[in-house]
Amino acid sequence: MSRRPPDAPADAVEAYLDRLLVTLNGTPRQIRYTLAEVEAHLRDAVAEGVAAGLPEPAAQAQAVARMGPVDGVAGRVPALGRPSLALARRLVLTAALVGGAGFAAVGGAGLIARFLASVKGNEFMTAPWPPGAYTRADCARWLAGDPGTHSCVTAMLYDHVGDFLLEATAAGLLGVLALAAYLALRQRWRDRATLAALPAGTAQALGAVLAGVAAVACLGAAIDNEMIQHGIGAGEAWSLGTAAAVTAALFALALRRALRAGPPGRAGRAGGAALG
Amino acid sequence: MRSEKLKGHLDLLLLSVLSRGPGHGYEVITRLRDRSDGAFELPEGTVYPALHRLEEAGLLASAWAAVAGRRRRIYRLTPAGEAALAEQAEQWREFSGSVTRVLGMPPAVARPRMAVPEVTA
Repeated sequence: MSRRPPDAPADAVEAYLDRLLVTLNGTPRQIRYTLAEVEAHLRDAVAEGVAAGLPEPAAQAQAVARMGPVDGVAGRVPALGRPSLALARRLVLTAALVGGAGFAAVGGAGLIARFLASVKGNEFMTAPWPPGAYTRADCARWLAGDPGTHSCVTAMLYDHVGDFLLEATAAGLLGVLALAAYLALRQRWRDRATLAALPAGTAQALGAVLAGVAAVACLGAAIDNEMIQHGIGAGEAWSLGTAAAVTAALFALALRRALRAGPPGRAGRAGGAALG
Repeated sequence: MRSEKLKGHLDLLLLSVLSRGPGHGYEVITRLRDRSDGAFELPEGTVYPALHRLEEAGLLASAWAAVAGRRRRIYRLTPAGEAALAEQAEQWREFSGSVTRVLGMPPAVARPRMAVPEVTA
């Protein structure tokens, strides 16, 4: 029997195999084997129908109807209200990508802050607490941490900037770990069902929105600080806002690439790109 | 018979069908339909997860071969599958016999596939 061109319309067998491809779970080999088995089965059934006198489209429709829903071939019970394993995996991937990128962005903000602090000083990075908001004991602790000065305010700023840089570094390391986990899991969960569990570009859109909101908030705070306090203490907001804006831009570029690549699972590279 | 009822006995039926000789998925379905006189109707695709599950359990083995110009996965019963078939068939006989006795029906007699003409002296 002659095969239609791959994109020919109204080929019920091809359409069924397409649906099965994005539904099957398992290793690439298991998926290939099951597809080959089911295709041979369907072609046999179509040949039987044609031999019995049916036109080919009717024979195809009959063969597909007899095969039953693709969930049956995939060995899955269609479940309503129960999140599928594929969806759970895709959500984990999305959380790892967006969360990892967010924490990594905070780490990047730490690097920007380190640069700003070296250029413009600690006073630009964080505003000192007003007198009365700290005790002599606080002062003594800050001075012990910065033996190079006798000024409580200078030691306070050194301490606070150091805390910010330390926390940003920790967040950055956490982000790198989360992104490494994302890459490892993405390699492991390459089945079509996982790729197709959410629309293309979901993770990128979510990341772009969250990072964009963070960028607007932080940069707004930085500008507000520049206008009201003449930049004293604006450095942290500038560094966080800049890192968030860069992250939002990267997510936006990835989103555009994912949308151009098409639905996840349509093709191997497209699926990978769509997932990010 | 409704496919929901059939699913509980699918493993036994598949092992039994393949005990008559190796076959690919379409052959298995065809034999199942023929041997049940068309009584067993289930979505044909559901046979494949069952075949794969039985193979994972070591009751079936499979190999690829070209048959009638198409690449087929041919399944055959393993020795473990033969033992499982014997055990499950015995369990089924006991179960169906008990149900039949409870219902007060005469034991079912297998229908001959072809009418045999009586020979008169």
